[in-house]
Amino acid sequence: MAQATSLAPGKSPLVEPAAQSRAPARRSGGLRNIGRTWPVLVLFLPPAILLFTLFVILPIGEAGWYSLFDWSGYGRPDEFIGLKNFELLWRSGAFRTALTNNGLIIVISLALQLPLALWLATLVSHRIPGATVFRLIFFLPYVLADVAAGLIWRFIYDGDYGLVASIASLLGFETPYVLADRTIAIYAVLAVIVWKYFGFHMMLFIAGLQSIDKSLYEAADIDGATGWQKFTNVTLPLLSPTIRLSVFFAVVGSLQLFDMIMPLTGGGPSNSTQTMVTFLYTYGITRMKVGFGSAIGVVLFVICVTLAFGYRRIFMKND
Amino acid sequence: MARIALQSVRKSFGYHPVLHGVSIDIEDGEFVILVGPSGCGKSTLLRMIAGLEEVTAGDIRIGDRVVNDLAPKERDIAMVFQNYALYPHMTVAENMAFSLKLAGAPKAEKDAAVGRAAEILGLAPLLGRYPKELSGGQRQRVAMGRAIVRDPSVFLFDEPLSNLDAKLRVQMRGEIKSLHQRLKTTMVYVTHDQIEAMTMADRIVVMNGGRVEQIGRPLDLYETPANLFVASFIGSPSMNLIEGEVARGDGRPLFRTTDGLALPLPDGTNAAPGRRLVYGVRPEHVAPAAEADADATATIELVEPTGAETQVQMRLGEHLATGTFRDWPIGRPGERIGLRLQRDKIHLFDQETGERLDAARPRTAGAAGRAA
Repeated sequence: MAQATSLAPGKSPLVEPAAQSRAPARRSGGLRNIGRTWPVLVLFLPPAILLFTLFVILPIGEAGWYSLFDWSGYGRPDEFIGLKNFELLWRSGAFRTALTNNGLIIVISLALQLPLALWLATLVSHRIPGATVFRLIFFLPYVLADVAAGLIWRFIYDGDYGLVASIASLLGFETPYVLADRTIAIYAVLAVIVWKYFGFHMMLFIAGLQSIDKSLYEAADIDGATGWQKFTNVTLPLLSPTIRLSVFFAVVGSLQLFDMIMPLTGGGPSNSTQTMVTFLYTYGITRMKVGFGSAIGVVLFVICVTLAFGYRRIFMKND
Repeated sequence: MARIALQSVRKSFGYHPVLHGVSIDIEDGEFVILVGPSGCGKSTLLRMIAGLEEVTAGDIRIGDRVVNDLAPKERDIAMVFQNYALYPHMTVAENMAFSLKLAGAPKAEKDAAVGRAAEILGLAPLLGRYPKELSGGQRQRVAMGRAIVRDPSVFLFDEPLSNLDAKLRVQMRGEIKSLHQRLKTTMVYVTHDQIEAMTMADRIVVMNGGRVEQIGRPLDLYETPANLFVASFIGSPSMNLIEGEVARGDGRPLFRTTDGLALPLPDGTNAAPGRRLVYGVRPEHVAPAAEADADATATIELVEPTGAETQVQMRLGEHLATGTFRDWPIGRPGERIGLRLQRDKIHLFDQETGERLDAARPRTAGAAGRAA
């Protein structure tokens, strides 16, 4: 080891012969490991591959195949129409609204939900009296079933008997019918989404914050950092793996949003709160157009996979 | 450089007191080591000097200022942590320059300060590396470099060598000592390792149970421990301590244990017969002797040669005693051995209070040190 050093100026005894030619050794080690673990692979890999093929690969392939047919879901798909379903989809105003809404949900999640979650996490991650209670309160909406949350907020937004109506009349305003107004309904949905999911991200951030060594903050105190400087120079960089994971969950979750919107607005009024999945359900399943629905599914799948793999490859490659 | 004065400093966590009024004066440029067993409050005291813990009562002065209510950054101190506390996302250079960056120093000033510290510590080739790419000793050196860059009045070290292996610890000990001699800055250093304390300190503060047991130069503590705790804590292997009482001998008083073991008392011992004492003698002040010249005879139980010397565990009456001998061979387990004790190196302590019997010896050494 090149530890032996002195304080003599100009000496450079601290360079260790670190990590010399480690890659080949690791590769051969990896091969040896595979050799040793092949019984485990033989035992555990085939069931996983079989299940994954049955329930993921095959349905994806089927959806791709059905998307080329005009098919109601009954009988065999025999009316081949090529890419017509995709053309119809591209021309659909409702689909473009759904796409826009998904984009809006992602933007609000990143711009509002995650900062709010991070701010609250920094507040309740300290060991102060009552912090645990607040953590629980903030996390409760996430525990609630999506459908139940949608129903609850539908009652809250109700223009005749809801909480919003009561507050509006108490303050002397005209009662708003939030979910019936196509210009503001999506914002009402966004508010529910932020309320429902910020607790999940907050918990991720709390876990991340608690893994940061407290002595780093003490060192920063001694170095003269203010609270904001500690946040930007210590907390944010060290929390970045958690933030990247949280963004990943937020993006993928936003693209899959369905359960909460159906009881809340059903995608209405006038398709103004459709997301890609509610659009798929409404136009593909309830209208018995399984071929068209499959085309929506294929587009959704391509978007999800592109985003997920692209994000992981670019932003999470070191995590 | 700055003096540090702790005046009746107390600390409680909730209702649990951990420091019971500690007073220590540390001179300009002095290297003082706080040493004691785990939980004695030494790290808490250091953190209070750093401003990382609030002071429950008493005053802490650095230079001419009472710093009780000052933030760490306003105290003109730098601290080296046990786990190094290096920012993992910053390079060595960025870690070292962080305090200057926060202060808005120009790049040229930062580069110069980092370069100077890197030269002192031989860190120049590592400036572009991240902490995870460094060994323990290198990280420790970067932590010291970060402290040097701040050019503080006081350096604080919180068990900085605890995470290093034994060989590296010895090497780093020398380097920290050299650093002190080079910078001549006041340093306060916490450790539980009495060897570290003995080899590095100008003065040692021995703490136990939130109290200062003794303050003094390393050899003062070794030669005249103020009480039983210091006697047993300082020195390795630790001092042989045997309980008994003063008895009348043939013309001069003796020390006698309940099992009949009789040991000589030092010349001029002023203790009345019947007084209950603890008799202390360090292993290195016990020598093998012929039966005729021996003060006592023991049975060898264990022989541990370490090369330069041999440590021998013996049964002396009903007591276990250790001797550190330079002669070889000493004997085999089970054999009898005559022992001669160095008269002027015998320590006597009151059995009830644990205090040193020789009242003329001060509890604290050095004009600046005192215990509350």
